[in-house]
Amino acid sequence: MAGPGKDYNHLFKLLIIGDSNVGKSSLLLRFADNSFSGSYITTIGVDFKIRTVDIDGERVKLQIWDTAGQERFRTITSTYYRNTHGVIIVYDVTNPESFVNVKRWLNEITQNCDNVCKILVGNKNDDPSKKQVDSQDAMRFGESVGVRVFETSAKENINVEEMFMAFTHMVLRTKKQSQSRAEREREREKETVDINSHRHRERRKRGKKCC
Amino acid sequence: MAKIENGRQSADSRSIRTISSSHMDDESSLGSDSEINGFTNDRHTDKYGFIGGAQQYSEESAQDVPPEVLRQREVKWLDMLSNWDKWMVKRHKKVRLRCQKGIPPSLRGRAWLYLSGGKVKREQNRGKFEELDSQAGDPKELDVIEKDLHRQFPFHEMFVSRGGHGQQDLFRVLKAYTLYRPEEGYCQAQAPIAAVLLMHMPAEDAFWGLVQICEKYLPGYYSAGLEAIQLDGEILYALTRRVSPLTYRHLEKHKIEPILYMTEWFMCAFSRTLPWASVLRVWDMFLCDGVKIIFRVGLVLLKCMLGTREKLKTCQGQYETMELLRAIEPRYMQEGFLVREVLDVPVSERDVESEHHVQLKRWRKNRGELHWKSPPRMHGARAIMASEPPSRQDLRQNPTIIVESPLPPPQPTPQLQKGEKKSKKGKKSIKKGSMKITPPPVTEIPNPYNLPSDPKLPLRDPQLPLRDPQLPLRDPQPTLRDSPVQKPLVNDTPLPNTPKDSHLPHQPALNDQPALNHQPVFNDQSLLKESPLEKSRLSLSSTEADHQDTYL
Repeated sequence: MAGPGKDYNHLFKLLIIGDSNVGKSSLLLRFADNSFSGSYITTIGVDFKIRTVDIDGERVKLQIWDTAGQERFRTITSTYYRNTHGVIIVYDVTNPESFVNVKRWLNEITQNCDNVCKILVGNKNDDPSKKQVDSQDAMRFGESVGVRVFETSAKENINVEEMFMAFTHMVLRTKKQSQSRAEREREREKETVDINSHRHRERRKRGKKCC
Repeated sequence: MAKIENGRQSADSRSIRTISSSHMDDESSLGSDSEINGFTNDRHTDKYGFIGGAQQYSEESAQDVPPEVLRQREVKWLDMLSNWDKWMVKRHKKVRLRCQKGIPPSLRGRAWLYLSGGKVKREQNRGKFEELDSQAGDPKELDVIEKDLHRQFPFHEMFVSRGGHGQQDLFRVLKAYTLYRPEEGYCQAQAPIAAVLLMHMPAEDAFWGLVQICEKYLPGYYSAGLEAIQLDGEILYALTRRVSPLTYRHLEKHKIEPILYMTEWFMCAFSRTLPWASVLRVWDMFLCDGVKIIFRVGLVLLKCMLGTREKLKTCQGQYETMELLRAIEPRYMQEGFLVREVLDVPVSERDVESEHHVQLKRWRKNRGELHWKSPPRMHGARAIMASEPPSRQDLRQNPTIIVESPLPPPQPTPQLQKGEKKSKKGKKSIKKGSMKITPPPVTEIPNPYNLPSDPKLPLRDPQLPLRDPQLPLRDPQPTLRDSPVQKPLVNDTPLPNTPKDSHLPHQPALNDQPALNHQPVFNDQSLLKESPLEKSRLSLSSTEADHQDTYL
């Protein structure tokens, strides 16, 4: 994938999921192009953009995939999860139902890949009078499932950059950890017969391991 | 390689999804519509109604049809529409050819409704739409639909204003469908389809057009589980192998599943992918010949973008390839080029069917039975008509404007136009008496109403197009409609067929006050009188002799 003249040190594929009309495409547009528009078209199937960021002196290229939110598109989204390093689950802070549905989206992730990095994002957080999902509730829920929560506004450009950068850090850290773990394992393998190697191969075959 | 600015994102087209700059609206066409999608100033609408040429409009993307050719085509189409059943049964090839050449914009909506069988469906279910329209609908479905209303062609002037007529009608059509097929419900990909139809016809017609597309042309595409679209993805993939082995191998090598690039193409019938001129031509052919056209367009795009070694060298990798497929070079989507290529793809209805069979078998083997039993797919207008034979009554045209021609019927001119000689030959194959299509020596259709700037119009040379060629042409296509008060989109917007829909944005109360309408108005009656076609037509359709039909 990365030729000799590559312009990055790491390449990550991120996936944005969440209910319809919570602002997935807007978040992507804000982050990738730093723009916002009141006029979007619904995402049918999948859309994607790229942005390369600098993390501690390393160039990290992000391929960000934006998906259709409507329930019936979930049957085809499994294709999108393949080789994904991180999943961004978006809800709309002005729409409690989209927050309730986060659980279903988390399930969706579990079904499609193991050990992928996740982050929960409450978007449209720019008008306190319209806000219906309490920050505390969201944080508590995030803690209970072990997922960090960010509140953003793609429209007002609040916290979007921070969220993506924090998430990229997280994904990068995970990658490095698993790399060093793999190295250690390889070391050990040299000395002992690894009874797990078969299982590892199986896993890889299933293509489910995302991180 | 930050060339993510592709296809829809680059230059013109980027605006479809993401324009953030200022465009404005023409009050006249938006009327009292409430909130405008954040536009301010500086508006320019292209001839299709897209603000700022938002659907990849450019001079090069579209072909120009000379006005006189359009005039001839209009006459031919009017004749076909008046004798639709006979044309479909006996001269279907000619109908197809004319769809391939492009339906004249002024008659496109009506032609689409006839081709799709929506017209027959509407007649056979009189009052149905009204009934559905008056019902409340499932709040859950309505909620989803409402969220999508402002996200369909937001740069088309018909849909630009929040809560405007375009969006209102879109709501009515989509809601009616969920009531009509509650077990199917609403699918987000139906909205662009309905919106394209609404750009060409009133809500009731658009509803029946949508019904036909969802049930006959693309059955199962929008149903829960989306199995049909996945199956078609596999079919496309298999056909790619035949049409462009190099492309196939590349897609295989990089594990690029069809669902990654063809979902939007197929589910929206390319309405979001191609420049608008091409969308219209593809739909003309699609509604005539069915889904094979969609497959062929897909195959052309795949082959053009990924069909040579040079091209493949530059896109090693899944993502790079996907990027390329989102950034299709404009030259491959140019109207003339695309239509020629599509006609050249050696994929027939039978090929699609046999591949369908193979893929269905594979599917069952790997994934079990389909969960959703869709009705069988109909390959185009003729198959649809054969499956539900219409009565004469069903095909009758219902005029909303009845205008008596103030002119005495002129003498038919003896000259034959070039193009017509051919059709004379074709005529021989038709039984005498069964269908007397005398090749219409396309005579001039004099305008019974003067254009404001053209007082002597009816006396013009028969060879001249309807509008005075001296007049500055804003758009070479605005056939029978240009006038100072004209709204930008009238071109592709037909007259409403029902009084109920007379409030449509671009058709201000035409049916109530034809006399106040400054646009030249014609009716079939006057056409009949002017052409030798008359006799044959009258003999063919005595039941229709009283029908008067008007178009812009």
